[in-house]
Amino acid sequence: MKKLSWITVCFAVVLAVLLAGVPANAAKTIKVGIVDCYSGPASTYTNDVRDAFKLAVDKINADGGVLGRKIEFTTRDSKFKVDIGLSAAKELIMRENVDILMGTINSSLALAISQLAKKEKIPFLVTFSKSAKITGAKGHRYVFSFTENSAMAGKAGAAGLAKKPYTKYWIAGDDYEYGHAIADGVWNNLKKMKPGVKLLGQSWWKVGEPDFTPYITAILAAKPDAVIIATGGRDCVPFLKAAKTTGFNEKVPFYMHTATELSTLKPLGLNAPEGVIGTSNYFFYYPETKENRAFVDKFKAAYNRYPAVGAVYGFMAADFIKKAYEKAGKINTEKFINALEGLTVSTPVGEVTMRAYDHQAMLPMFMGTTKKAKGYDFLIATDIVIIPGKEVMPSIKEIKKARGK
Amino acid sequence: MEFASNITIAAIFQQVLVGLSRTTILFIVASGLSLVLGVLRIPNVAHGSLYMIGAFLAYTIATLFGGGTAGFWLALIIAPLGVALISFIAERGLFCHLYEREHLMLLLFTFSFTLVFGDLVKLVWGSDYRSLSAPVFMQGSFSIFDLPFPRYNLFLLVIGPLVALGLWFLTNKTKIGKIARAAAVDREMVGAVGINVSRVFAAVFVIGCFLAGLGGALVAPTQNITQGMDHAIIIEAFLIVIIGGLGNMWGALLGALIFGLTDSMGILLWPQFAIVFPYIAVIIVLLFRPKGLLKSTW
Repeated sequence: MKKLSWITVCFAVVLAVLLAGVPANAAKTIKVGIVDCYSGPASTYTNDVRDAFKLAVDKINADGGVLGRKIEFTTRDSKFKVDIGLSAAKELIMRENVDILMGTINSSLALAISQLAKKEKIPFLVTFSKSAKITGAKGHRYVFSFTENSAMAGKAGAAGLAKKPYTKYWIAGDDYEYGHAIADGVWNNLKKMKPGVKLLGQSWWKVGEPDFTPYITAILAAKPDAVIIATGGRDCVPFLKAAKTTGFNEKVPFYMHTATELSTLKPLGLNAPEGVIGTSNYFFYYPETKENRAFVDKFKAAYNRYPAVGAVYGFMAADFIKKAYEKAGKINTEKFINALEGLTVSTPVGEVTMRAYDHQAMLPMFMGTTKKAKGYDFLIATDIVIIPGKEVMPSIKEIKKARGK
Repeated sequence: MEFASNITIAAIFQQVLVGLSRTTILFIVASGLSLVLGVLRIPNVAHGSLYMIGAFLAYTIATLFGGGTAGFWLALIIAPLGVALISFIAERGLFCHLYEREHLMLLLFTFSFTLVFGDLVKLVWGSDYRSLSAPVFMQGSFSIFDLPFPRYNLFLLVIGPLVALGLWFLTNKTKIGKIARAAAVDREMVGAVGINVSRVFAAVFVIGCFLAGLGGALVAPTQNITQGMDHAIIIEAFLIVIIGGLGNMWGALLGALIFGLTDSMGILLWPQFAIVFPYIAVIIVLLFRPKGLLKSTW
């Protein structure tokens, strides 16, 4: 008898928990599900997206939420694997009933979730993947990008390099989609902007190449004026380190997209190479505006570190969600999407508009050169040039062409 | 398809030197693997993990001593010893009970160790990149025939032959080396003449793993210390051991030379497709010498 009652009690407790869980979730919140890689080297970038998003959401909720509802979010670790990330996204839609999906740094996964979002009619806000296909060839009504992509980086890189006196180039990079996309983007635009440039040769290494030295010595033997390094994600930091060890940066200047980003430079500390040209969406020390300073102070007070580029993506995404729902006037997915199209929001990097045609945030790009600076135990970017969002965006004609229209 | 414009005699010479310095790392790691494979008959998949631990330990030790020149040298000595200690515990505690098992069991067992070591590294050092810099006088490069050659690679070129010489001395001139070579051929006979084979095996295992740690510590200043470096090296090390002849130390040297030189020359001659060169070399060797270039001890 006693045993039975114990089981009954347990059952009752479990039931109570389950029941309590259901109405609590249904109680008028806006649910955001984030799938991203939170383990391994990629977490250097993704943690900032999540932490800044939380910072913004906490503020929104403290101020009374959106249309009287609070924003609530849960995260899932994709472990940089497409299958794990995709099933996590499904789980977030089916079981958690999320209103919005967010993520991810892995381009293959971002494209897979984008297809799922299209099928399930759930808005998917991309916060780090740099594949131009997301809002280009594979774009659709339910996907939005809050980060620059390889097409934009290509244009920005070319615009910056065209102003420099180099003519003989060498291209080297990761032998996968991102590497080739960046290299083609920079090179094709550079040829248009400065017809005199000449390509001496190319080298392509495998993703995760452990030893860059033989590549660097072979490139230096060709004596180019400058080198375009098309490497991304986990290979940026090792490459910069190899550049420093071999003295590459002292022999020949090289351009590497994201080289100047805090996430890339911080792990190397003062051992990072100086004089590397890089492009990025954000620096915590630039632009020196009131908005940016306020954002940096808030982020630093909360997490005791400087915000890297991902923080802007996360912070901006939360603000876009709030403003879009307010503009829509009610919590409705289709109205939310209509409102998000063409919406302009004030961010730490100035006003950013979500382009209505391809759902790509028109972010400005900053080109700078790495340098040691007083007061920092890592390198920062100097001689920063702003390349405005309008200039780096692929034209709508290009997007139409990519989508086969 | 355009060929690179940078192929000159000087460039080839320089690229050979760079390839030889890569060979040094590959040889040090592969010779340790080969030693354990030849004498103990253990296909130690966890060898790569010990290499990774060596690199992480080198980082920690160098940072502990202020990250300067002294820290670097201490790291180079202490990190491999630390790895040797870990392997000693593993050998006495676990491996020594398993020598009689079949190879597949041992393979699975050491594979499980790669997972355990991988997670241990994640627990101790986290998932971030770690970076160790070479001492100031070894940073940068100097000119050979007007082409820059990294100083640290020159240091590796000095270390490589020293390790090879040390291994030759160990296996040919010391008692333990001679016993180990005998035990590799006939373990029971060596035991029958009254030698404590178990102790010899422990020593050989520890020396083999010491080499993995040394490889890791040496490579630390040239690349980022991160998870996943264990998988990258173990595949290369096994290929080298296979083309050289299982368990043959000089085979490991030959294999490392083939691997390191085809890699660096491929990068110079045909940079777009450089990735495949070492693997093509492996395929060619195995087509003509399926058992490896030199005599296998198996």
